[in-house]
Amino acid sequence: MKKSISVSRRTVLWGLTGVLAAPAVMRATSAMADSGSLTFTGYGGSYQDAVAKAVITPFTEETGIKVNVVPAPDLARVKAQQLAGNVEWDVFDGASSEGATGSKDGLWEQLDLSSFDVADLAVAPTNEVVPWGIYAGGVAWDPTKFDAGKHPSTFADLFDVAKYPGRRTLFLNGPVMTLEAALLADGVSPKDVYPLDLDRAFKALDRVKASIPSWPATSTQTISLAQKGEVDFCCTFASRVKATNQPGGGAPLAFSFEQNLLDSEILTVIKGGPNKANAIKFVAYCLRPEVQARLNNQLGGVPVSKKARPMLSEEVRKWQPDYENPRNLFIDPSYWQANNAAVSARFKEWTVG
Amino acid sequence: MNMTSSIRATAIFMSPAALIAIFIVMPPLLYVVYTSVNGLAFSLDLYADVVASKLFRQTLITTFVISGISCFVSLVLGFVVALHLASQPARRRAILLGLVLLPLWTSILVKCFAFMVLLGREGVINSILSWAFDAHIQLPMILNRIGTLIGMINWQVPLVVLPILASLLAIDEAVYRAASIMGAKPARIFWTVTVRLSLPGVLAGLLSIFVMSLGSFMVPALLGGPKDLMLSNLVDYYSRQVLDWPRASTISVILFAISVSFAAPLALWRRSRRI
Repeated sequence: MKKSISVSRRTVLWGLTGVLAAPAVMRATSAMADSGSLTFTGYGGSYQDAVAKAVITPFTEETGIKVNVVPAPDLARVKAQQLAGNVEWDVFDGASSEGATGSKDGLWEQLDLSSFDVADLAVAPTNEVVPWGIYAGGVAWDPTKFDAGKHPSTFADLFDVAKYPGRRTLFLNGPVMTLEAALLADGVSPKDVYPLDLDRAFKALDRVKASIPSWPATSTQTISLAQKGEVDFCCTFASRVKATNQPGGGAPLAFSFEQNLLDSEILTVIKGGPNKANAIKFVAYCLRPEVQARLNNQLGGVPVSKKARPMLSEEVRKWQPDYENPRNLFIDPSYWQANNAAVSARFKEWTVG
Repeated sequence: MNMTSSIRATAIFMSPAALIAIFIVMPPLLYVVYTSVNGLAFSLDLYADVVASKLFRQTLITTFVISGISCFVSLVLGFVVALHLASQPARRRAILLGLVLLPLWTSILVKCFAFMVLLGREGVINSILSWAFDAHIQLPMILNRIGTLIGMINWQVPLVVLPILASLLAIDEAVYRAASIMGAKPARIFWTVTVRLSLPGVLAGLLSIFVMSLGSFMVPALLGGPKDLMLSNLVDYYSRQVLDWPRASTISVILFAISVSFAAPLALWRRSRRI
């Protein structure tokens, strides 16, 4: 009996070693740098399909530069590659707070902004981080359970547990967006949100803490918890809710545009990557108005290029946030660049306390 | 088998494991230690800092509480299963043992999602209860401590059954007969023979699942609530969310030290029994 256990454990160890080594071996053969390619980190799923169709394929047709897509942008892996002196990725696709954290850690290449049409971008780029899409975060619910007027529509509603009882999730597990939503809910005007009044934000969060069963790790989870009825209301993103209203999207959810937090999806060129010149060409291509319109017509997202807005289809226009809405707030990545580490620690302590 | 040949045989069988340990497992582990003490500057400041932090202490307590409770429940359940298996004819036992091991061959990720479907607010169990009692029943069984414990116990029970079963099968039938001839009642036979003689298996099983559960990551992340954060989740948080690798390394080293302090007595004790 004992013998057979120890043999099987060793087999498992060997198997694990193989599994661990396989990606390294496979990547070593696929990521060879040559002048005609670049490596892009993609999120996978329907998002990646849209990026491939609307951006990558036409880019390769136009320039002849082949784009290798590797899964899951992950700052920790960028840092690890640079530490090991073996950078395999060129272009990183992530959230604005990730762009800011990466800037603080010196992960990104400096970009020459003169090659971009900065005036056309709804969100200003830094000389390392370029926004290439906008996403609108707000309150969502299952319309089969809650009629009009019976669900929260703004952050103040969402934090009003007495008026709208039920379980709810806020934004992704972390302080970014969550604290902004808390301050807006507490009556702070959008123009006064930064720099964040942390004590006030956590005090407001205390009011809803007991109604929050989970802090979603991914945007997919924000949707699935609401679809499965684990929570009654959630904070999520317009394009994700739009996807639930399409065939194969599961139970359709509804989304409120009455108050939104707007944040940008960003591109960066990774410092020390093997194909810097191609990477910069790719980033510039992604910002062209016609590319922006094509991508967001597929995704149902929000283009960062102002010129792309009139090129959107009727259907996608229904899912655009209202830029003139005075209740909306744009997330400020520079605040998070300076404060993410300290505020994250306090937030984490608050969630387990 | 004499001593020398047994050592040689052991050496041949162990060498791949030893090579993996030395060349693949050790270097990153040493690097983690190196990072945690700020490299050659050798400073233990981070350790003092981590140990003093409320977040770490809270998480450490949660880790011990979840591991302790789940291991105890798994031990009781596993003992009952092992007792039943030991009393079966060999052929039937093999089939039943296969059923016990089945969950071990399923990915823990898949099992966690399956538990969400079963235990969710509108999951299978709550739906059946709602139907049976004709009321809208929503027992909270996931995204909390209960869900975490169920997920943990699910993978621990098969692992604890194996060593206990081995110990039970090793008990000589004659001992039971002798006890009963001497007039012992079933309860006393169970206590003085079955339980006492299966203790080696019980201890081995208990310590191994306890050590493994200290490093749990997936189950608390998927089935637990915000307060079910365990040490591995804290390491993940520092390494991926805030990119604070020195702190992540420090917590990893502490977790490793705790695991070793529980695993080492087990290894030593096993060796002393073999000689």
